[in-house]
Amino acid sequence: MSDDESVKVITPPNTLKSKVREGGSGSVDMAALARAEAVIADLADSYLEWVEEDLVKIRRAHDELSANMDNPEKYVDAVFQIAHDMKGQGGSFGYDLMTILGNDLCRFIEGKKTLSNTDLSVISLYIDTMKLVISKRMSGDGGSEGQKVLAGLAMVVKKITGG
Amino acid sequence: MVDYNLERLNFLIVDDNKHMRALVQGILHALGVKNCLDAIDGADAFKELRHFPADIIICDWNMQPLDGLDFTRLVRTGKDSPNPFVPIIMLTGHTEMNRVVEARDAGVHEFMAKPISAKGLYARIKAIIERPRPFVRAGMYFGPDRRRRDNPAYRGTERRKSDDESGGGGGAELSQEEVQALLDN
Repeated sequence: MSDDESVKVITPPNTLKSKVREGGSGSVDMAALARAEAVIADLADSYLEWVEEDLVKIRRAHDELSANMDNPEKYVDAVFQIAHDMKGQGGSFGYDLMTILGNDLCRFIEGKKTLSNTDLSVISLYIDTMKLVISKRMSGDGGSEGQKVLAGLAMVVKKITGG
Repeated sequence: MVDYNLERLNFLIVDDNKHMRALVQGILHALGVKNCLDAIDGADAFKELRHFPADIIICDWNMQPLDGLDFTRLVRTGKDSPNPFVPIIMLTGHTEMNRVVEARDAGVHEFMAKPISAKGLYARIKAIIERPRPFVRAGMYFGPDRRRRDNPAYRGTERRKSDDESGGGGGAELSQEEVQALLDN
């Protein structure tokens, strides 16, 4: 039997097209898009407040992981979840380095069932670096200082992991 | 380029992070949307759907107890689903290839990688308005047709299952452009 023999195609009613109007007042033009981008920029200050909470949370999760190295899975997951949220939020509010660091940390710990003390040190380094990015307000790509921080982190991680 | 007036559309925003909900809602309001409802996870959203006639759902992936993927499956195939056809945009930090395919196979219409931008979100909304997709029931799958490319010149064999089972690199990180290319193939 071919795949298509068991396939049923349904055309749902297209209600969206009848509910949206094309053009005219209130339609999404360049000005509306600029206003929407401005909303994001306006929320950047609030971001700096709540990311501090995330930094505390991820440090706490790291400490709990450190205290439970014999059975780390649940604690690794906690660190992952917070880092993953920080990855999504950072760039949304103009802190692209937070997205890069959050992503790299997620990739580093993803799927780890056991952890060495070296791994723990690397996680700690990522958290410290994220803290630095926020405290120094390194928005965007962080400029030359931000790039130095990223390069420095990569070098240290390479050194301590022997990579 | 056609500009759409979105004020009559109802949006349901599903995210466990109140800041991200505020962000998405702020963007939508700036784009002229009047009716937005929030939900804090998939279970809450499913409850809201019973009385809120959402036209488009914007949904995060990582949520407890019901995540965005399970929520999508529930909307598509749940016996008591109020609207199995409702378009869903998955908004997530997960950009690995296997995750994108997983979301598509759960029945999402669009996939948007965080960080979020107003332009990016509007592009996904426009795609949903301009390219209404037929739904397909095939084996265990029920959802929008996963073959999105409309190419009348195509003379090759039909591919329903093989599209994403041949490639490796399941965990490779994708850019938004690559995500789009994967979904369009």
